[in-house]
Amino acid sequence: MRRRASLVLLAFAVFFAALSPLIRWYGFPRLAKIPPGQYQHMVLEAKNATLLDYATMKSRKVPKVSIVQTLKGNVEAAEKVGDRTGRDVVVWDTLSYVADDKGKMVSRIPERYVFDAHSQEPVHAGGEHVDGDPVRREGIEYKWPFLTEKRDYAYFDFQTRTSAPIHYKGTRTVRGLETYYFEQTIPWTKVKVPQHLPLGATPETVDQVGLERWYSTKRMFWVEPTTGAPVDGQELHKEEMRWKDQPGRKPLTAFAGHVKMRPDFQDEAVGLVTSQRHLVLALTTYLPWGFLALGGLLFALSLTLEARARGRGPTGETAATGEDGAGPGSGGRGGDGPRDGNGPADGGGDGDGDGTHQTPGPGTGRGKHRQPA
Amino acid sequence: MRALIAAAIGLAAALALVFGITAMGAPPGETSKEPLHTTVPEHP
Repeated sequence: MRRRASLVLLAFAVFFAALSPLIRWYGFPRLAKIPPGQYQHMVLEAKNATLLDYATMKSRKVPKVSIVQTLKGNVEAAEKVGDRTGRDVVVWDTLSYVADDKGKMVSRIPERYVFDAHSQEPVHAGGEHVDGDPVRREGIEYKWPFLTEKRDYAYFDFQTRTSAPIHYKGTRTVRGLETYYFEQTIPWTKVKVPQHLPLGATPETVDQVGLERWYSTKRMFWVEPTTGAPVDGQELHKEEMRWKDQPGRKPLTAFAGHVKMRPDFQDEAVGLVTSQRHLVLALTTYLPWGFLALGGLLFALSLTLEARARGRGPTGETAATGEDGAGPGSGGRGGDGPRDGNGPADGGGDGDGDGTHQTPGPGTGRGKHRQPA
Repeated sequence: MRALIAAAIGLAAALALVFGITAMGAPPGETSKEPLHTTVPEHP
């Protein structure tokens, strides 16, 4: 009986010990994924910002500019791309909508971002675009991969339609969460005029007036490394309308401001990340280490039981040897302990050693135990 | 020999469990009916 228990414990020990690396290295990449139907919105604000008034073509100070970013997972598109590529893919249709202090539209730039649901690598399929322009992203956008590393990443800038390094600058604590701080600077770059501007202005009308759009930004992210989700984001954002072929003429500031997450949305992001990080940690840390420890414990128990069974076995067998021939029941009746004079404690061993000895099969244990006798 | 069999059973069960769960995967869900915002939401 004791031996049977040790074998059962051994099976469980191997079960849990095997689960440990399987969950971490096989399960985690397949289970930790961004849901294809995720929907999320975020509001960022720039207080005391400068905006271009398209009616007067003059820059003016406004108390607040809001940037509303919506990310909407397109499940049908993700399934199509997934079927085509054989990967688990997420397709985000996003909109960056900029509104002035009165809620009027300043610009709106839609995007389609297609990426691997686990690794966050861009997938070049499914019509990825920025404001209708086909793009081929390199690197990440909006979110970092699970288990973000302390290193630079390539980050896609949708204004310039190019990727540039976003530098890891150390760890920071944001509302009690340890985060990795990343910074990217985009130098003054000529960029496309958005398709949708106030007063029906279009890239063509802007071009006819003799203006071109330039942009620079310093982008800052505080990323919770387990989930890869930013819990804070800020930008020192500047846009100018520069006169074509008139380098001496003063440019018009189209937008200038320090953009920050609105506090209530930041609270929501922190709450979401705090709950989600435990799910990720369960797959990467809690379960693998817990199961490994449990496996080790069960293995030790199994060995202990086996050792006890073996320790008792020979004595019992010795005493019972003469009765072996009496058939299966004989070992049991051997009453090992008492016959050996080992006292009641040994007698308690009946079940274990005896059960094994009774086994009608080849009874390897039996043979061995007989030897010393 | 019995120990080997017990270990093999444990290993097979672990493999079956993990392969089974990962093969099932998560339900894809649906595309949200919520709009892409063109107004500033008052609350998250």
